[in-house]
Amino acid sequence: MLNSKYINFLFLLLITYRKKHISIFIISVIIVALVTSILFISSAIQKDINTTLQSQADFTIQRYKAGKVLNTPQSWIDEFLQIDGISKVQGRIYGMHFYEPAETYFMIVGIDFFDDNVVKTLQTLIDNIDIDKFLSRDNMIIGSGVKKFLDEYAYKDYYNFRPPDRSIKKVYIYGTLPKQSNIVSSDMIIMDIDLARKILGVEDGYVTDIIIEVPNPKEAPMIRTKLTISHFDMRIIEKEDIKRYYKNLFNYKGGVFLILYTIVLVTFLLILYQRYSMISNIDSKEIAILRSVGWKINSIIWLKISENFIVAFSAYLVGVITAYIYVFILNAPLLKEIFLGHNNLSQDITFSQQINTTDLGIVFLLFVIPFIIAIIIPVWHKSIIEPTEVMR
Amino acid sequence: MIIIKNLYKEFSQDTTQSFHALKDINLSINDGECLILNGVSGSGKSTLLSIIGAIMKPTSGSVEIDGENIVSLSDFHTSNYRNTKIGFVTQSFHLFDELSVKDNISIPLIITDLSNDEMDEYIKHAMKIANISHKSNQKVKTLSGGEKQRCIIARALVNDPQIILCDEPTANLDYTNSIKFIDIIKKLKEMKKTLIIATHDPLFNNLACADKTLNIKEGSLE
Repeated sequence: MLNSKYINFLFLLLITYRKKHISIFIISVIIVALVTSILFISSAIQKDINTTLQSQADFTIQRYKAGKVLNTPQSWIDEFLQIDGISKVQGRIYGMHFYEPAETYFMIVGIDFFDDNVVKTLQTLIDNIDIDKFLSRDNMIIGSGVKKFLDEYAYKDYYNFRPPDRSIKKVYIYGTLPKQSNIVSSDMIIMDIDLARKILGVEDGYVTDIIIEVPNPKEAPMIRTKLTISHFDMRIIEKEDIKRYYKNLFNYKGGVFLILYTIVLVTFLLILYQRYSMISNIDSKEIAILRSVGWKINSIIWLKISENFIVAFSAYLVGVITAYIYVFILNAPLLKEIFLGHNNLSQDITFSQQINTTDLGIVFLLFVIPFIIAIIIPVWHKSIIEPTEVMR
Repeated sequence: MIIIKNLYKEFSQDTTQSFHALKDINLSINDGECLILNGVSGSGKSTLLSIIGAIMKPTSGSVEIDGENIVSLSDFHTSNYRNTKIGFVTQSFHLFDELSVKDNISIPLIITDLSNDEMDEYIKHAMKIANISHKSNQKVKTLSGGEKQRCIIARALVNDPQIILCDEPTANLDYTNSIKFIDIIKKLKEMKKTLIIATHDPLFNNLACADKTLNIKEGSLE
């Protein structure tokens, strides 16, 4: 059946009756582009989360009393070091800084620059960071969201913090964190731990929280139990909890979109089915002509399958390419806002290219196959009727 | 040779009413014969042609073409039969309006094993007989009624079928085009095609090339 005459005739019909297909093609492209964009964004976000949170500590300990988070005594660090299986315990200083000009909050994170691991992690984010130079004066590394706000108010080189002791602390901008880590670092300011303590007003002998590293994941549940019973006024956050939090947040948003997509797709297919069920006089006449000159039912169905497969597959390809351009080149305007929201600062994220072939396969199966079925059933119905019935 | 025996066709309008379009038709037509079926609208002429052309099944009876009862053939075989042995000329211009004359004529050949060159030869030959070669690349929707009719004739002839069925072929044609159509019928007769023409056009009365003229009334042959 698939000879050159058949293929010529197929393309002749497609070109001649292109107006008939154009509206369906456009709607199909929009649907495919929308769902593929959602999948591209979800995959890119998950990849970014995994990359960014990879260096997160296994456990984070916070002092928690009467429903409020309090500063944690530094003395706990030595206690936790006594627990077998823990390789590293470190205090952290962090907190929110209210940036009055824009009425928004930045997160200050104080880190220990004498800790090799911390420096290594930082070096993966910022190339050629010179620690000695960084510590030679009060410096900070800022997220791109923070930079945007500081730039707006001409804080190009430094910013004056106002610690609770009513002094003014001038801190220089050393560098900016890469956009790839924006999903968690857009509103972040990284500085030396002692500087952060001073700006945030955390008294000596206390830290904001304590991070713990456990090299053997199998020991983690047992260590968690030991930590839990060591103090009753504390909360333990696991690395997986943080990852899960972000994943759930974005999966939930993606899920809402996928449900909307499913509703749109089903509606579209119903319209398609109805359209072909109420097959136009021209379509009926064509089928009748083909039958009357000796075309077999399966030849006619194959012709219609081929015709609509070309329309659906072209729409699928164009839709996927459109989604690629929209997400990875145009950076998903609008959808990005909906997905990432404005928790604190606007999330100025550049999505990392992450194309999952399984996702593309699922879109293909959930779009092209139902598309063909929605058309073929009514066409088959018309084809099995005696040609004279259709000709009347 | 076509042999029709005890042919009945009944259309059920609902569970209680039915309409007998054909009643006990018995008829034989020799190869190369030209039969004129005369009758008013609704007399059953088109139904009889549709059954002979295997685009409709009778309620009972048989239609033997060269010894084979086409009534009992499967859809696969009736499609083959229509494609190889039958040429249909209808009163309405059943054509793909947006396609060219040549493309329309090629439709029966697409599903055959002919090569592209052979196909072109067949199309040229059919267009020549139907006198439509000069409109080969023109879209059907731009043709006049007479030209559309000639396009349908060329399509009916392109597979070189033995039997040509014409259902009210001049119903939508003016006098001049009707005369041109009769000239083509004469050519087909010379080519020894079996012709069955259902009509109520007086132009076909006493047609010199007609071997038989039968009247059909209320589904029965007179």
